[in-house]
Amino acid sequence: MKEHFWSVFWAYMIGWGVFFFYYVTVARRTAALGEQIERLKNSLNRGK
Amino acid sequence: MKKKILIAAVVVILMSFAAYAALLIAPTESKMGPIQRIFYLHAPAGMVSLLCFFVCFVGNFAYTLKRESKWDCLGVSAAEVGVAFCTVNIITGPIWAHPVWGIWWTWDWRLTLTFVLWLLYISYLLLRTLVEDPDRRALVSAIYGIFAFLDVPLVYGSIRWWRTQHPQPVIMGGSGSGLEPTMAKVFWFWFFNLVILMVFLVRERYRLEAMRGEVQLIEREAEAA
Amino acid sequence: MALLSKAAVLLGKELRTEFRSRELLTTTVVFILTIVVLFSFTFDPSVSESRRFGPGLLWLAFLFAASLMLQPCFLREQTNDTLGALRLSVSDPFAIFLAKLAANTLFLLFTQVLLLPVFSILYNVPVLAAFPQLVLVMFMGSLGLSVTGTALSAISAQARMRELLLPLLLLPLLTPVLIASTEATAALLIPNPAMRWDWLGFLLGFDVVFLTALWLFGEYLLEE
Repeated sequence: MKEHFWSVFWAYMIGWGVFFFYYVTVARRTAALGEQIERLKNSLNRGK
Repeated sequence: MKKKILIAAVVVILMSFAAYAALLIAPTESKMGPIQRIFYLHAPAGMVSLLCFFVCFVGNFAYTLKRESKWDCLGVSAAEVGVAFCTVNIITGPIWAHPVWGIWWTWDWRLTLTFVLWLLYISYLLLRTLVEDPDRRALVSAIYGIFAFLDVPLVYGSIRWWRTQHPQPVIMGGSGSGLEPTMAKVFWFWFFNLVILMVFLVRERYRLEAMRGEVQLIEREAEAA
Repeated sequence: MALLSKAAVLLGKELRTEFRSRELLTTTVVFILTIVVLFSFTFDPSVSESRRFGPGLLWLAFLFAASLMLQPCFLREQTNDTLGALRLSVSDPFAIFLAKLAANTLFLLFTQVLLLPVFSILYNVPVLAAFPQLVLVMFMGSLGLSVTGTALSAISAQARMRELLLPLLLLPLLTPVLIASTEATAALLIPNPAMRWDWLGFLLGFDVVFLTALWLFGEYLLEE
């Protein structure tokens, strides 16, 4: 019984972990790209 | 931005309530005991991943016909989110199987099919990283995506057919068969929740892909200047 | 009809190119032979064991060989930059695919028929009793391998790391072919061989589905 409780617990933890981790990677990639866009825009403006 | 936080909050609240429902509201299954509670995460995750792959197919198909980059963005977003859901399905499966069957993995048709699907869409994502030109990448991966999706019923048919002729592994009656009403309610609530989570994740991923297009546009502009 | 005659002309070109050098066929035959020999170390190659593992082994070897053999299919055109000329000279791009996949089917079938007696001798599995049926299964299997393989070869030729990419894209897609042809072959290698028409029909279905898909979407792959 107790052993099963931990199985259920870890299954849910891992499940949410995967979703959360995936979301974090997407958010981080988005943030990095946003910065890159800012930088590119700035350098373009400076060029003019 | 505000909208995004709102959706994220709704997702978190719904997910917490879903967890409460799965762990405390749903009755304990008589034969398998509490381990069966993994089912509420495991089965809907698999179903949502199939839904994602279908959305990916729609994106791929529309791209080959219309050549608008938004369809390509939709295709890759849905495929990636689908792989995430499929991963959850594949990981939670053995955690459930081990106490019930005594083994982590068996080459049962459902497990095999999920595994092959997972591999197909990993290949799709890998292909995308290996083609440089954006338009080429979109077109080539869209066609591979169409091929992969057409393969799904064939893989299903062959594995199903092949496995039913061989000795079946010990398996309890199908997951949907004779669900107790409360269990069914919790199950569909979970499905509904995961679909919302999927929409949220696909939206986020779509935004990222659209930004990539923007970067390319600016870079081209910079080169021209 | 015009499509078929154009495809036939192109097929003749493919076959002439190959039979002038025989590079592809020789390499593939040696490759499959190597795998077949190496497999003998992984289990006890007695008659009953060979009957159990043989068909799967054979088809796995064919699958790997095909994923290597289909590599140069479009790459060769790309390095020599002949694809553009080819496309200009042929009005329907499907003819190019048709010719290439017919050539690949013939090459694969040729290597399979060549290696079947060798396999039979090495693993003590009689194949002569059901040889025509075996050839039929091999033809349907090779067709399935070639249809998907030719399309994916056109895809992978446009990517980096293409040598690794093609098997990666192709092998999971070929799961149904592997299952169906292994089962059909296994039924033909037992003491009382029987033709599994159901699996053959399945292979036919696979071939038709992907041939149609190639006909509908293949031309996009040849765009500049």
